[in-house]
Amino acid sequence: MIDFDTGEDAALLQDAVTRFARDALAPNARRAEADRRPDDATRHLYESLGLTAFELRGEGLGMVARCLVNEALGAADPGAALRLDRIGAAGYALAALDGVEGVEALIADPARRAWLVTPEDGAVNVTERTASGTLHFVPADVTDLVVLSASGVAVIRSGLEATPLRGAGLRALDPARLTLTHAPVARFARVAIAPILARARLYTASLLLGVLEAASSYARAYARERVAFGRPIAHHQGLTFLLTDMNTAVAGARLLQHEAAWRLDAGLDGAEAAATAFAETVEQSAFVAPNAVQVLGGVGFMQDYPVEKYMREARTLGLLLGGIDLARDDAMKNPATALMAQGGL
Amino acid sequence: MDFAIDADTQRHIESLREFGRDVIRPLGIERDRIGTPTPPDHPFFREVLARGLTRPPDRSGGDGGGVGPAVLRVITGNELAYWDRGVSSSLPGPGLGGGPVMGMGTDAQKTRLLTRFRDMSEPRWGAFAMTEPGAGSDVARIRTRAVKDGDEWVLNGAKLFSANADRADWIVVFATVDPDLGRAGHRAFVVERGMPGLSDPKPEKKMGIKAYASASFTMNDLRVPADNLLGGEALYEARSRGAGFKGAMQTFNATRPAIAANAVGMARACLDEAAAFVRETGVHDERCRDRLERMRRRSRAAWLMCLKAAWLADQGRPNMVEASMSKATAAEVAMEAASLGMELLGAVGAQGEHLIEKLYRDVKAMDIVEGTGQIQRIVMARHLVGYPRDA
Repeated sequence: MIDFDTGEDAALLQDAVTRFARDALAPNARRAEADRRPDDATRHLYESLGLTAFELRGEGLGMVARCLVNEALGAADPGAALRLDRIGAAGYALAALDGVEGVEALIADPARRAWLVTPEDGAVNVTERTASGTLHFVPADVTDLVVLSASGVAVIRSGLEATPLRGAGLRALDPARLTLTHAPVARFARVAIAPILARARLYTASLLLGVLEAASSYARAYARERVAFGRPIAHHQGLTFLLTDMNTAVAGARLLQHEAAWRLDAGLDGAEAAATAFAETVEQSAFVAPNAVQVLGGVGFMQDYPVEKYMREARTLGLLLGGIDLARDDAMKNPATALMAQGGL
Repeated sequence: MDFAIDADTQRHIESLREFGRDVIRPLGIERDRIGTPTPPDHPFFREVLARGLTRPPDRSGGDGGGVGPAVLRVITGNELAYWDRGVSSSLPGPGLGGGPVMGMGTDAQKTRLLTRFRDMSEPRWGAFAMTEPGAGSDVARIRTRAVKDGDEWVLNGAKLFSANADRADWIVVFATVDPDLGRAGHRAFVVERGMPGLSDPKPEKKMGIKAYASASFTMNDLRVPADNLLGGEALYEARSRGAGFKGAMQTFNATRPAIAANAVGMARACLDEAAAFVRETGVHDERCRDRLERMRRRSRAAWLMCLKAAWLADQGRPNMVEASMSKATAAEVAMEAASLGMELLGAVGAQGEHLIEKLYRDVKAMDIVEGTGQIQRIVMARHLVGYPRDA
């Protein structure tokens, strides 16, 4: 039965994460960007929340809860959020390979960090034995590289040569270019990658959604305060309509994410829905984030305000996991799907 | 969180779908070619009543779930408009007039005006009249005058674009007791067919959605009994300012998601037809696919907005932003889908024979009726950024 309430448990979790994001993550976002990592105090607080891979542990909180959590984290600092979660979207692949125990073993070792990529995230050739090529954007300290390809999932744990990058965004993740030269594949499995990629896309898209919500909200608040030509700039229709459209863009992407997440939690096929939600969030990010800067005008361009960071983070997040093009391919994997049924009926 | 549709509602949809395919779409195409609304004595309307299409679905053998009335309205509106929005707007029932009667009417008025629609032996219509030649988006500026004269009210003015007014038993007419009072001067009256002073409502000639009548009419010294003031004098005294205007706005909040759902249904029809065309003609390539993907995605987002706005209404929660959001988005998406469909048809679209060409004409109305996209943004802006009412 149709119900848009997220449920009490998920709402409580969302509240706790929102408080952490507001009180610990957001105030330190610029410093984390400069230091290329969140500070230890923030990391300790994050760990006390017990968020890493929570949706894999059968506590009744699934992808919908993950979307809510990541939206809250993304609104504060998506780079730091990715850095703090040493499993991230790779957890879905690792759980498919080794079960939740395998994921928890990785979490237990503080020196390990997993990262999920697709071959479209660089130029890389992966066989069951070796991997060679370049990946354009990964965390510098990745230890367990997980590659999702049409033939299955490969985990590479050695032969990872990272070259630090400045990074257009997500600098708190400490991004790097990764070179693989006949790197041995530690683990390979022919498993269905669509459900893994669906979860990974929602993981990433919900972080991006948080950035967009933050950008849209910040622009609205600023526009209510800033006066030009005798009234708040939000009350000049040229900007009024832009601000409402930004809010609508975020709301639409959120609904698509939640529906896709619900499908996965309900055990339904959510691959197409997740790809659709990812594509919509990325497409709307190109509208919302730059326009948040636009609403602020000159000061929006300055690093004294957060919107320029939102714009960089949003664009960077949207390029992960093969970006929008791969998502659009997957969203139309089955072009014969009756659109009549797509009415949601 | 749950997006599943219960089995009873699914059966309701299936029955609408079957009737839509076999009857509604052919009739819509026929009326579009003829160019005039379906006459009220057309056998279609009796068939609609016989099938119980205007009744809520039977839940007697159901699974105990079920959706609320507003969600059911958007689901029904989506499916019917998929087959033909003009025909779906012509269906018997109280129409838009039902909202203010339910929301503002006294118990006696509700009984007198609405009970008749339970009788399925004969089609009956109600109507709603707000728009005037000089007051479209700015409904606060209506000029139809209402003057109290003893136990009666005397109405003078003109109304436009009133759906099914040409065949309605009654029309909820919004008038003002004093234009200088703005919204506070609004009153809602029930004008009944045959009342002296009411001109014969005249169907307008439209670009599309031709199967239903959008009628205009005038009121010249039209006398309505005091009993026909919706809610009675007490309503306007008790709420003091703007009860009539608020009644109209509440009507719109309830109906906007349904109109938006109509638009989504039309967008789906455009996409299905366009997808079928590119498949049949073999012009399906990556560019086509990407454009269809985008429209499908945008339609889906718009549909979820409709569902959420309706669900909030069923929960008794405020839904003004969501209702306007769904309406603004769905109307734009539908227009884009129709335009894309025409583009994919190429010169075939220019021939004026394809269903997408009809949809292209039909769908434009969705961004105009019950508040243009610009008005929806203003409504949202009042909540989001405190946009002033007098700006």
